[in-house]
Amino acid sequence: MSARSGQPGKALSLGLKHLAYLIIAFIFVLPLWWAIVSSLRPNSAIFADIFPFTPKALLPAPFTLEAYTGIFERGFGLIIANTMLVALVTMAAGLIVNGAAGFAFAMFDFKGKKFILSAIIISFMLPFEAIALPLYTVTQQLGWLDNIAALIVPSVANGLAVFLFYQFFSQVPKDYAEAARLDGVSWIDILLRIYVPLSLPTCISAALLLFIFQWEAFLWPLLAMPSQQFKVIQVGMAAFQQQYQTIWNQLFAVSVITALIPIALLLPLQRYYVQGLAGAGIKG
Amino acid sequence: MFRSRTPVLLIAALLAPALIGLVVFRLYPVALAVSDSFFNMVRGQQLFVGFDNYLSLLSDRTFWKSMQVTFWFNLLINPIQIALALGLALLYVQQFRGVTLYRVLFLIPIGVSLPTAVIIWRIMLTQDGLVNGLIGIAGVPAQPWLTSESLALYSIIAIATWKGISYWMIFIIGGLQTISPEIYDAARLDGVKPWQRLIFITIPLLRPTLLFVLVADVSINFLLFAPIFMLTQGGPADSTNVLMYEAYKSGFIFGDMGRAMAIIVVVVAILLIIVAAQFKLLSGREARQ
Amino acid sequence: MKTITFAIAGLAASLLAGTALAQDKTLNMIVIEGGDTAAMQAVVDAYKADHPGIAINLQPYPFAQFFQVAELRLRSADAGIDLVYVDAPLLASYASRGFLSPIDAGIDTSALVPAAVEAGQYEGTQYALPINNSAQVLYVNNALFEAAGITPPAGLTKGETATQADIDTLASSERWTWEQVADAARKLTVTDNGRTTTYGFTVEQFGELYQLQPFGESLGSPVIGPDGYTAKGYLDSEAWTKGATYWSDLYNAWAVSPKSLGYGEAASLFGNGQLAMFAGGTWNLPILSATDIDFSVAPYPYFEGGSVVTPTGSWYVGVNAASANQAEAMDFAGYLTTSDAGTKVWFDSLQQLPTYKPLLDTISTAPEYDAFPQNVFRLGVYDSLNTAKARPVTAAYGQLQDAFRTAFVDIANGVPVADALASAVQKFESAASRVAQ
Repeated sequence: MSARSGQPGKALSLGLKHLAYLIIAFIFVLPLWWAIVSSLRPNSAIFADIFPFTPKALLPAPFTLEAYTGIFERGFGLIIANTMLVALVTMAAGLIVNGAAGFAFAMFDFKGKKFILSAIIISFMLPFEAIALPLYTVTQQLGWLDNIAALIVPSVANGLAVFLFYQFFSQVPKDYAEAARLDGVSWIDILLRIYVPLSLPTCISAALLLFIFQWEAFLWPLLAMPSQQFKVIQVGMAAFQQQYQTIWNQLFAVSVITALIPIALLLPLQRYYVQGLAGAGIKG
Repeated sequence: MFRSRTPVLLIAALLAPALIGLVVFRLYPVALAVSDSFFNMVRGQQLFVGFDNYLSLLSDRTFWKSMQVTFWFNLLINPIQIALALGLALLYVQQFRGVTLYRVLFLIPIGVSLPTAVIIWRIMLTQDGLVNGLIGIAGVPAQPWLTSESLALYSIIAIATWKGISYWMIFIIGGLQTISPEIYDAARLDGVKPWQRLIFITIPLLRPTLLFVLVADVSINFLLFAPIFMLTQGGPADSTNVLMYEAYKSGFIFGDMGRAMAIIVVVVAILLIIVAAQFKLLSGREARQ
Repeated sequence: MKTITFAIAGLAASLLAGTALAQDKTLNMIVIEGGDTAAMQAVVDAYKADHPGIAINLQPYPFAQFFQVAELRLRSADAGIDLVYVDAPLLASYASRGFLSPIDAGIDTSALVPAAVEAGQYEGTQYALPINNSAQVLYVNNALFEAAGITPPAGLTKGETATQADIDTLASSERWTWEQVADAARKLTVTDNGRTTTYGFTVEQFGELYQLQPFGESLGSPVIGPDGYTAKGYLDSEAWTKGATYWSDLYNAWAVSPKSLGYGEAASLFGNGQLAMFAGGTWNLPILSATDIDFSVAPYPYFEGGSVVTPTGSWYVGVNAASANQAEAMDFAGYLTTSDAGTKVWFDSLQQLPTYKPLLDTISTAPEYDAFPQNVFRLGVYDSLNTAKARPVTAAYGQLQDAFRTAFVDIANGVPVADALASAVQKFESAASRVAQ
């Protein structure tokens, strides 16, 4: 597995490996690269080298940072902070709420379990557009319109996240918990000391799911915040596509910033990908 | 053994927050929405029409054409996305010098929101756009990616796949962590080839994760219509008109909520049958393990 | 019970209107985000100066999502909306479903352009008042015409002045035909290695009914019948087939137009010098004036042998039927659309063609409208009084617009004209029959 090697055969296979990775990375990067370049151009020059395409379209010339200064003058810093707040609170609360439910479903048998589990799975198969109107009415009755609670609370419980945790906890051998119970360890301690550390990779997946859900939320923040005093990213971005013109370079500048934030949050978490169950030596 | 003394209070406490949230903010609203499918709005009055909205779908040509498109779209996009996400995850977890940079690049589509991805791809796929420019270098003539009946659906599948596979990759990487490296070590000592390891070790042990990804991905793709709304609006000649877009048009553009909800109920019912089949197929053997 | 109380309160308030409106009320209005919100805020500020007891909050929504959000909130009978920004053709759909209150008979509409007032009516009742109008023109890149050695259409250009009489002559006798546009466009289109580097012509709103309605109407056939639900014999008539064939040729036979442009992209291409002509709204003037393109503005074309028909219609204001502040909301709607002060503030702020006749008179006569680009408004005045044709009034407008757009986008993409129009007729009639009962 080492990259260092003197043999020509190994060098060739290493070269092929890098080539394969490069091609895939190129496909992923190309659209974002074009967005980055466009965000560094004046708005009037966005289409200059695109219809028809010339390689110059991939260079930021003419170069200007006006799009980036422009979005912060528009208050996009606050909008990004708002979205981070909503997404991180939802994520933290969602990990606890959905993790607990997934644990309960996986560890215990009780009456109606199958029925409730089915209802939870159905809950993520519903198109949001179909429930937008009744959900708006419910939120209105709760008096939460224009309140940040309306953005967070309805998104904390997430059927997909419950299902994800349920799938994971079901895999953990039950005898592990049974042994701890015989030793008199409380359920809460079993959950916190044994299962939570084991489930870190799953927690990252669930956190991503909850975070991205809010990061991409659009129709609901529009409806739930009628006075539009508290804006989130997707709502703020829609403002660049106006009735009679689009401010392309600012739209791309925001796209670039919002694309990089989730990646920046995800990268440091990679160190928790250390063998989960296997590392703890229960599944061998 | 401990199941005989089921801690009822504990279970209730663990389940309550999630259940209350889902009932109040998902299931109760959906019950209200489903009831809309039994009504029609006529001159400002809600009239109860029973199953009329469902019955009229039976003879609705647009609906059946749209059903075909929906099935074809899903038959293609789901296996493609899951296979590619699995492949990408296996590449992601390799260890060699320089892999960290590739890992960062593999994550890029996660943060690009769907509307942005669609805008960028639309401009890249125009007749004189970047993609045609690139294939032109290889001598391939320019293709009408989004404007021809024969290509538009596949272009949309490609865009949705570009956007989706990094996201599903993360879940699969999480699942790969639960497989003990000792199993691989033992297999390697026994001379098992890499592709045999993939088919006989990785995929079977990954089954719970793959079941999750399959169910979640199928649900999302069955309900997907935003890229179609933004790129082709169901055209050309209805070739991308999936059922959810047909329902969206009925409900939000035509003000015909009765038909829209009837279509959505049908879509969700089909989805439920598919997901139930997936559970049967994928979790059956696992239980016996 | 509640509704009756409100109705009585509303009645009492309207009886007292002008003398003593209820004090300390807050009204909410949904508007389009951007320039429209800024202009509306200016009108609100002016209104507040005379009506200290009334506060008006604007709730701006992005253009692309406005209709969806408005539909959802109006359908839920949301009392949190008092005033509604209404797109002209959606009026019938809103009114037929009871979303809007009939406009107070006390509001005098006699100073408004009659066609615009009528477009605010459904089954004989006024449900909304026109805030402004719209006008379409032909933008021409002079440098590209010169380079190709073609004489551009007569029009208004930078550095020249024109009186209303000059412009009336221009619009009535020097207007280009679509055939002339096509001839010029074919000469202006430049391809390099099989790829188009300069396009001859395009329309701003690709495939949209608003923009293309004159294609068939100029040749003598409306889009749908007077009942609002029949398209057979109209959209598939000889006139529409001819208009749609012209549209098809632009993209296929002649290949002078770029396919599937998004909103605003025609102006971007034109501003880059990659497009010789485009048919678009007067709202592009400030955007194009900011570029260094040498352009002129000609009247919206018509078909040879046909009549001159131009697009029209824009935003209206209505009062939400679920609002608890009917009288106050009506009063503001009247101020916005029928008062000297309100219409002037709106026009000064947004620079859209007015529907208020005294303002149109000012544009025709005041010397500050002699010079380019302000004199383009005089072209709008001529068209709105002589050639403007409103979109059809039907509660199934959404269905019509969708079927129409689908057909014309498909035609541009190469679907045969007859097939596309037949499919549009079938789709529209089947969807419309569900609301026609």
